[in-house]
Amino acid sequence: MVMNEKLLLGRSIETGSWVHRLDARAKLTGMIVYVAIILLSRSWLALALLAVFSLTVMASTRIPLKYFIKAAKPLRYLMLFIFIVQMLSVKEGAVWFSAGSFSLHEEGLRLGAFSVIRMVFLITFTALLTFTTTPGKLNQGLEGILSPFRRLGLSPDRITLMISIALRFIPTILDEAQIIMKAQASRGADLQELSLKEKAKMLVSLLVPVISSAFRRAQDLVYSMEARGFRMDARRSRYHRPKWGGADTAFIAMFVVLGIAIVIL
Amino acid sequence: MNETYRPVHAAAGEEQISVSLKEVSFGYDPEHPILQDITLAVPQGQWVSIVGPNGCGKSTLVKLLNALLPKSGGEIVICGHKLEEETISDIRQCIGMVFQNPDNQFIGATVEEDILFGLEGLCLPYAEMESRLHVYAAKLGIDHLMSKHPGELSGGQKQRVAIASILAMEPGIVIFDEASSMLDEGSRNELLGILQEMRTEGKYTILMITHDADEILAADRVVALAGGQIIADVTPEELFRDEVLLAECHLQMPYPWRLARELHRRGIDAGVAADEKELIDRIWPFNYNK
Repeated sequence: MVMNEKLLLGRSIETGSWVHRLDARAKLTGMIVYVAIILLSRSWLALALLAVFSLTVMASTRIPLKYFIKAAKPLRYLMLFIFIVQMLSVKEGAVWFSAGSFSLHEEGLRLGAFSVIRMVFLITFTALLTFTTTPGKLNQGLEGILSPFRRLGLSPDRITLMISIALRFIPTILDEAQIIMKAQASRGADLQELSLKEKAKMLVSLLVPVISSAFRRAQDLVYSMEARGFRMDARRSRYHRPKWGGADTAFIAMFVVLGIAIVIL
Repeated sequence: MNETYRPVHAAAGEEQISVSLKEVSFGYDPEHPILQDITLAVPQGQWVSIVGPNGCGKSTLVKLLNALLPKSGGEIVICGHKLEEETISDIRQCIGMVFQNPDNQFIGATVEEDILFGLEGLCLPYAEMESRLHVYAAKLGIDHLMSKHPGELSGGQKQRVAIASILAMEPGIVIFDEASSMLDEGSRNELLGILQEMRTEGKYTILMITHDADEILAADRVVALAGGQIIADVTPEELFRDEVLLAECHLQMPYPWRLARELHRRGIDAGVAADEKELIDRIWPFNYNK
């Protein structure tokens, strides 16, 4: 359960806001447009506009801002890394600081800051999707979005089934990994006292039981699904049927308008 | 009521048999079969306990019935359908299975989704799904847990969800494959209560793999397996009276039985009690008469 607390992946936070009530397909489409908008934002003005828009939508979900920040937190080192790489590799614009062969350029700092800000928006705003949509509805939305690809031989049912089973079992398997770690610690294998090389060895001895147990779980799950009459690609009826409403169209229109505004700026 | 006990015509009699196996065998290697020459007929509505030491093929046997494992030989007939490639999906509709590990049979992300998984597979219309969802959730007492994730439920609650999911599909045969072995004593008794209710309803043929004395005692009939063969087909009372058979199945007598036997050895005849309460009722007058 401790793991579940940390794992924001696929966790919805119910507040009953208008964003929660939207069709998952509308939200997914909105997110795709949003990603395109982020890539198109090339000026400070565009980023400012993006910020105002994103914060307004986030606030309207009535989910506390700290959850969004929490979602971006695990990637802080990656962001720092990207910032430093950009800062050091771009050698354009005015020189701000130099010592020997080392120099910092204005353009490098600007691009570094840009990348980080974009990344923060990308993660926090897309977290909105999982926060406001239950995994089941999200999966159904995904199935809807992917259904045009059926003609290309892609099976949306299979993809969504795979995702939903993965989401269902990730916490279970993480919990199990923790139990095995504790079992190993109780036999004297204390991670903290080991050298890095021995830690790596421990990891292998953790992975083997976790993976073999995952296979056993998979076998059990297959038995259980087949016993309940499941057949791959068989016709199924749907209990939750998504309904597309005016709000959903408006939601997407909002993103399109934002996109156009940003391109013009 | 009497009609069910009267000898019936051959044609009607066949309909009454839910599960029929004729010389069924299974094995990956023909030299070392896991199951051989299993012949068994279970009439509709009967509650059969399947017992035997670990690794004797109990789980394998029940998995042959709905073709989760392919039989190597023999004939299986389930509710009038002969088991063949084409009838597998019909047969799976007749059989519901509850497995040992409550976690690994929880398919949906929530209780509601788990119950719906089977119903959607049956292609039921919305109204029917809606009504079954509520009827069976209420029946198993899990209607307040519908939006819960499996991580938030206890083992006993998860097993209830599994049973609700299976009963909602309205099968005629329900198989419990050591379904209580990972539960605590309280949840185990609750499960037994659910099974007793199912028997009272009379709609279900129950096959239950178990090592638990109370569960065996509650059944109508016991089939004992050892070494891949049926070694006994008796009533629970007969099983617990036969010490050789008990040892062969790695089973212990139920507690009241052991106590009564010990009392008998010391000269107090408490008879044979079905459960602890009955035993207490038989023992207390002894003290009173002194």
